[in-house]
Amino acid sequence: MSEGLLTTTVGSFPKPDYLTRARSQFSLGKIGREELAALERQATAEVIRLQEEVGLDILVHGEMERGDMVAYFAELLSESMAIGGLVRSYGNRYYRKPIIIGKLHWQGPMTVEMWRYAQGLTDKPVKGMLTGPYTMVDWSFDEYYDSRREAVLDMAQVIHQEAVELEKAGASYIQVDEPAASTRPEEMELVAQGLAVATEGLKAKTMTHMCYGDFAAVFDQIVRLPVDLLDIEAANSDYHLLDLFRGHRFDKEVALGVLDVHTRRVETLEEVKEGIRRGLEVLPPQRLYIDPDCGLKTRTWEEAAAKLRVMVQAVREVRRELGIEG
Amino acid sequence: MLTTVVGSYPKIPNRPRPARLRAAIARFERKEIGEDELRRVEDEVTVEVIQEQVEAGIDIVSDGQIRWEDDQTYFARRMDGFTIDGLIRYFDTNTYYRQPVVTGAVQWREPIAANDYRFAAAHSPRPVKALVTGPYTLAALSANEHYGSFGELVLALARELRQEMLSLEKAGAPIIQVSEPAILKRKEDFPLFRQALEQMMEGLAVEAHLYTWFGDIEGLFPQILELPFSTIGLDFVMGSANYEIISRAPFAKKLGLGIVDARNTRLETVEQIVECIRRVSDVVSVENLYVNPSSRLEHLPREVAETKLKRMVEGVRQAQEVLG
Repeated sequence: MSEGLLTTTVGSFPKPDYLTRARSQFSLGKIGREELAALERQATAEVIRLQEEVGLDILVHGEMERGDMVAYFAELLSESMAIGGLVRSYGNRYYRKPIIIGKLHWQGPMTVEMWRYAQGLTDKPVKGMLTGPYTMVDWSFDEYYDSRREAVLDMAQVIHQEAVELEKAGASYIQVDEPAASTRPEEMELVAQGLAVATEGLKAKTMTHMCYGDFAAVFDQIVRLPVDLLDIEAANSDYHLLDLFRGHRFDKEVALGVLDVHTRRVETLEEVKEGIRRGLEVLPPQRLYIDPDCGLKTRTWEEAAAKLRVMVQAVREVRRELGIEG
Repeated sequence: MLTTVVGSYPKIPNRPRPARLRAAIARFERKEIGEDELRRVEDEVTVEVIQEQVEAGIDIVSDGQIRWEDDQTYFARRMDGFTIDGLIRYFDTNTYYRQPVVTGAVQWREPIAANDYRFAAAHSPRPVKALVTGPYTLAALSANEHYGSFGELVLALARELRQEMLSLEKAGAPIIQVSEPAILKRKEDFPLFRQALEQMMEGLAVEAHLYTWFGDIEGLFPQILELPFSTIGLDFVMGSANYEIISRAPFAKKLGLGIVDARNTRLETVEQIVECIRRVSDVVSVENLYVNPSSRLEHLPREVAETKLKRMVEGVRQAQEVLG
């Protein structure tokens, strides 16, 4: 059993070129679902292999089967959600924003098969990965509900059912991401209620990832969110977030982002070690996990691998300095 | 009672219509086409979206901000004193823009949107409204690494953007919309906001409209009526409290009535639109209303935006019959 500083990643990995090509061919109707699925499994196996080779402790399946973290689930919730027209996200990037068109309900497992496949490839634990109810609703249009609260709470039941299925299949870590959570401080209570429903009664370790926001305003609520572990980005904001932890009593575990995923530059070993040490100033190693700031899908495969190697090496060296086992 | 838009229009349509601008930008980035060709496509798409607004029945159209990556960098890239940094979220949307960083004294160099205005006006059978991102919002959505205080930056931008207002006035714009959504997020800055806008508007004769969105003006009313604009544009969807707020004092200006939800695909009924207009008609007489979407239309798919505008125009037509 490890004494601390376990390493993991936030969730997504870059898609290999062959998969990106296959996805666009599939969308044009040039290849079938089966052919695409086979390539998704091939890429997933490569993601698992890379993580084992790098030496991470808690693995992810890499989300090779997902384009967008909301649209993936929306497509499968076909009785209550539709995929709308193109909306610009930034620059020349567009995405199909989903639309809630009926009462939200779980129709069947959405993530279990891929999780099972990935877990079958490794002895290390693979996290079950879900998009949180608040983010699912916030990043969709809504033509059905009269209030955001109703929509979020119904979506929370859907996500809860999926989490239960993942746990039944054997997942010991379940991550429910809420990247939309920090955008409206006044709705933090709703985020928490959604997560409470989604994680209710789970024995698996639950965690949530948040990014891009003004955490200071909602910190009191964030530390009380009904999950075991908070995953936060820190490298991208010069670890300012850690200052917030100093003044607060809380008993959660924290996964600390020590790699800026928005830059191509590979961090130096010293930089990452310094980031880990800063985390250790406010948390004991048993409660501190080390990971990148956010999903790695925006980096190239080589950049992602290089960054993760530095991260794992940095953790090993800090562990050695502290005399703890990995 | 006239109909208008709050600026941006979705840049690309959905299949089967071709996403020409998206394709052109991608080809430009791959260096397969030059800047001239990209500009030509931007021109064509601008004409196309003006046409769509006109066909929907909009009285005062915009150029759709087809050439703008966003409201901030269109100005920041064309003024001195800015560099452009990484992606950051636009308010509480799931839309991102590259954050301008103020690294030196901000300075207006040359007309930014005047040629765009001239082009649009030459290709529109209806009056075209020009758009300027206000000094407060431009400052609030940028990072300040140069000025000693945020206030200094806002006032410096007001001084420089005045040149842009003058240049648009000279170009013949009948209306200039000054977009200031950010003031709704920090209302305690109103004294600074007022000082900046008064400075920016000094000596201008052009008709100017002040537009806000993504919230209500609780705490800013009635002071907002003292600002040097003929029209105040408000969001009555995300700022539904505005109905009650504006009833507290005589509304001695024209009102930009943002009632069609520019952030959700759910279609308003004609009856709902008529009802919204009726609700404010006790406070602002209908001839002093501009009816428009709640904010920029770019957060919607193109076809939904088009349908919503048509619905809005139909609602206004019926309201005119009912309310005279």
